[in-house]
Amino acid sequence: MEKQVAIVGYAQTGYGSYVDASREILVLEAAAGALRSAGISREVLDTVVTATNDYMDGRTISNMRLVEPSGAWFKDESKVEMDGAYAVLYAMMRILSGDHDVAMVIGASQASVYPTYIPGVMMLDPTFDRERWLLNEVSAGALQARAYMDAYGATEEQIAGISVKNLRNAAGNPLAVRRMPVLTVDDVMDSRMLYSPIRELNAFPPSDGACSVILASSEKAEQITDNPVWIHGVGFSHDSYLTERPLDKLGSLKQAADRAYAAAGISDAKDQVDVAEVHENFSHEELMAYEALGFCGEGRGSALLESGATKMNGELPVNPSGGALAANAACAAGLARIAEAALQVRGEAGSHQVKGVKTALAHGQTGLCAQENIVFILGGE
Amino acid sequence: MEPGGLKNVDTVEIPAVPVFSWSVGNFMEKFFDGLKDGKLMGIKCPKCGRVYLPPRMICERCFTENEEWVELPLEGTVESFTIAHVKVGDDGELEDLETPETIGMVKHKGADTCIVARIEGLDPADAGVGMRVTVVIDKSAENILDVLSHYVPC
Repeated sequence: MEKQVAIVGYAQTGYGSYVDASREILVLEAAAGALRSAGISREVLDTVVTATNDYMDGRTISNMRLVEPSGAWFKDESKVEMDGAYAVLYAMMRILSGDHDVAMVIGASQASVYPTYIPGVMMLDPTFDRERWLLNEVSAGALQARAYMDAYGATEEQIAGISVKNLRNAAGNPLAVRRMPVLTVDDVMDSRMLYSPIRELNAFPPSDGACSVILASSEKAEQITDNPVWIHGVGFSHDSYLTERPLDKLGSLKQAADRAYAAAGISDAKDQVDVAEVHENFSHEELMAYEALGFCGEGRGSALLESGATKMNGELPVNPSGGALAANAACAAGLARIAEAALQVRGEAGSHQVKGVKTALAHGQTGLCAQENIVFILGGE
Repeated sequence: MEPGGLKNVDTVEIPAVPVFSWSVGNFMEKFFDGLKDGKLMGIKCPKCGRVYLPPRMICERCFTENEEWVELPLEGTVESFTIAHVKVGDDGELEDLETPETIGMVKHKGADTCIVARIEGLDPADAGVGMRVTVVIDKSAENILDVLSHYVPC
């Protein structure tokens, strides 16, 4: 799709444990920051889409008290109960409908407030898996990791290489939780074993934080900024429940990527994409994503990593921000990939900027073992 | 501004614990009844022949209601596994287990989907993908969900 909807502003809070800050403050900081970044006032917004979760917020209709801090008072306001990356698709559709010109998307949560691993348990089949209390986000991720390793021969040390790359990258991202410039494979292998083969440094750090992105129609975007970041393509796909699909590959990510590439006119992703921000809740998922995104052939994820191509100075850097292994606020983690990809296109990423980015890929996921995946292709002028 | 810069002075605990009474549905009830008779019952899509275990009412691929019950062998193959060193505690955080345990994802011959349960009676270090296991049924289990108790190596 050619220059129909653009990203014109974005902001993230720092990620961490802000148990003594209210979620309204986090949302206000992200919303006000995004408006400042776009150089517009609240009055310019036509519609606001929040991405929060009732269970994590401990209240039904979790968006109801976010009207004030998101600047949505007396405006068209609605909510997506998934990662904010999906809210971007919804906001984009609202703009494409012609009813709205400017939309703000906000994703937020506070892991320090809710019982951290219960929301993952609540995603399970309530008449069987949930009550058995064996599956949760991490143990399910471990089954996925083992299935992938068994299918393609990836080793735990190779998988640890993703944590090393991303958490070292995060040293250049002032907002990240885990900033580890000298991390080694041995450090990852020595970290606390959770569910084999997943150790603490292979798994996302549950974080507090918020992210906001402002979208605009082409006409408005060009009025607002000289540097709009255009959405050239998007693809979204939803796979089966985790025990009812092959866990050794990310089928719905491949389908989402293929749709996004078709819309954006990308035939060779490794050649045409300059940087990718991937939503890897676990380090093995980034290797699986390389394959699903077509950066390498099936089973070649480890080889691609070891070639250095996805490092900061490689041919196709992946997760210069550190990705979701470096900071992961549920509902904001995928949205943050979009904000980070937009930063890279604009050349505003500071000490984690990749040189010469024209086309960026951003990925978001929701559900156990990356059940649903969404891919955006972004680019400048 | 640091997000913590404008602070709430106090935190409040919200003690309400939601308790739900789910109907397991006709299909799961039949599945549990089968287990009590020592049988593992799956259900087949009339269109594509995909067999769901545990049974599901709808074949998502064909958008068809499943209807044909099939009895499956008690033996299955480990498709994936993990050695649990932690569990989710009552507070929702990961707490260390005293003794690591093996959790397996098992596919029974004739089924297209998997069951996740503990594998007992083995050293976790000996667990592997492709291992043959048998389901252990505990007909006297108090909770209906525990009738399918665990797996043991064949």
